[in-house]
Amino acid sequence: MAHLHDLTIKKFHEGLLKKDFSALEITQATYDWIEKRDSEIGAYLSLNKDFAIKQAEAADIKIAKNEKVTKLTGIPIALKDNILVEGLPATAGSKILKDYTASYDSTVSKRLKDAGAVILGKTNLDEFAMGSSGENSGFKITKNPKDLERVPGGSSSGSTAAVADHMAVAALGSDTGGSIRQPAAFCGVVGLKPTYGSVSRHGLIALASSLDQIGPLTKTVEDAAILFNEIRGKDDLDATSADVDYSLEDLLNPKLENIKKLKIGIPEEYFIEGLDKGVSAEVERVINDIKSLGLEIKKIRLPHTKYALSCYYIIMPAEASSNLERFDGIRYGTRHKAGSLLDLYRKNREAGFGAEPKRRILLGNFVLSSGYYDAYYSKAQKVRQLIKRDFDEAFKEVDVIATPVTPTRAFKIGEKSADPLEMYLSDIFTIPVNLAGLPALSIPVKKRTGLPVGFQLIGRRFREADILGIGQFYEKLYN
Amino acid sequence: MADINKKDLEHLAELSRIELKESEEAKLLKDLEEILNYFKELQELDTENVEPMTGGTDNKNVVREDMPGKTDDTGKAYPARGPGQFPENKGGYLKVPPVF
Repeated sequence: MAHLHDLTIKKFHEGLLKKDFSALEITQATYDWIEKRDSEIGAYLSLNKDFAIKQAEAADIKIAKNEKVTKLTGIPIALKDNILVEGLPATAGSKILKDYTASYDSTVSKRLKDAGAVILGKTNLDEFAMGSSGENSGFKITKNPKDLERVPGGSSSGSTAAVADHMAVAALGSDTGGSIRQPAAFCGVVGLKPTYGSVSRHGLIALASSLDQIGPLTKTVEDAAILFNEIRGKDDLDATSADVDYSLEDLLNPKLENIKKLKIGIPEEYFIEGLDKGVSAEVERVINDIKSLGLEIKKIRLPHTKYALSCYYIIMPAEASSNLERFDGIRYGTRHKAGSLLDLYRKNREAGFGAEPKRRILLGNFVLSSGYYDAYYSKAQKVRQLIKRDFDEAFKEVDVIATPVTPTRAFKIGEKSADPLEMYLSDIFTIPVNLAGLPALSIPVKKRTGLPVGFQLIGRRFREADILGIGQFYEKLYN
Repeated sequence: MADINKKDLEHLAELSRIELKESEEAKLLKDLEEILNYFKELQELDTENVEPMTGGTDNKNVVREDMPGKTDDTGKAYPARGPGQFPENKGGYLKVPPVF
């Protein structure tokens, strides 16, 4: 049987077809490995063993009967616990949803089930996807499998750690300001934040609706392309989902002759003071590698980059404060005893929310309140437009933009948890992409020294094929 | 741009339906002050003639027909749905404390 460490979606699929192993064997081996490792890492919040075994058996029967299978048939996948799977817990990492069971399938889980994937369980996250370290969950801390004293990044901490430690072949996370790409960079896996509107958000517990996107965390860029292709597409249940005609050929079988024609822009605003020298050197090396593939590299400007963090930390809490209004312990979730209805709301929200959601709800309600709306919220919406225009201008000159993912490598557990502003700064290179609604890919630097470092490729809207294509050829340089 | 004081914070907490402990207030006030102070950099930018970007999509007025969805037609109780999720349940009805 194949070793879990060697399995990618592609290799699993090939092995399954050749009958080198069964889906059930791999599923059981994965659960055994989770049992052995996860008490140390803390990637999973709940496991879905009984149903996963049935899904794996169904995959094996399909293979035995020579029935049509998909590239995801039998693949053991983990889902961030803010993505609903009917009948499974969905806590969003918050005590306020400790007792909640999802009453319907998110569109992405329905697509995964239809494709025959095996859903292993639900993974830990910073509460309501608010955080950059995996320390903000209401239940437990997730640790970085590459160094247990360090954070895995966040908020898709558990999904990323599960893939990095082979406790899943692939996983889904969500990315509002970097929550897929930043942990991917810290743990040395691939993370794709798709274009806003390309993957349905139906059944994703919302943080900031104009920024959230679900996307894959995988071991290779090729796997990210496969998984993205299975979950993307127009969905009537998400009014912001887009009907886009993606070229499957470009997405799944990129050709070097086409990729070579792409121009890469390097924005000087991303190579600033505060960017760790080691990280900068690794990213420079990647840029040279991309150059060696024959792509043209060009310096560009994205002048409003420095304002992205302020802009984001106004818009995101504003939307979050509205989205989190529904959590009051009335219809579902955990309820605390209280005298009157008003006391019940206060008590439930006081006891149910951790420090970060409280901070963001208060901040969001502040920037939206009468008297401050124009100075903060309205101003931020205009600055968001300026940031988007920067990218529009840049994409007149280049096809893809390459940057670091994070200013530093994974930091120590506890290092930044006392200072929210310091923590927010760790997303400084990922946030502009969400504000502009663009696709971006975080890829681990190959042959690096020390802890993982990621580099980011940002593409035009709905041009995931460009960034995934370059990423796949970059990986081939080191195969 | 204005700074935030203890009274503002308590008012916000009231609007947000969050009970704050005395011990939380000082830390929150400090954090919010620092964050709001950081936002001041936005005032450097002239946004006089800039259209606000109001969302993540250019789609406008997306509508669809109402469609009947999947229902539990087995007649069996469905524990994950509706009354099964209620934190307090009296004869299938949602129980809440008195409003007044």
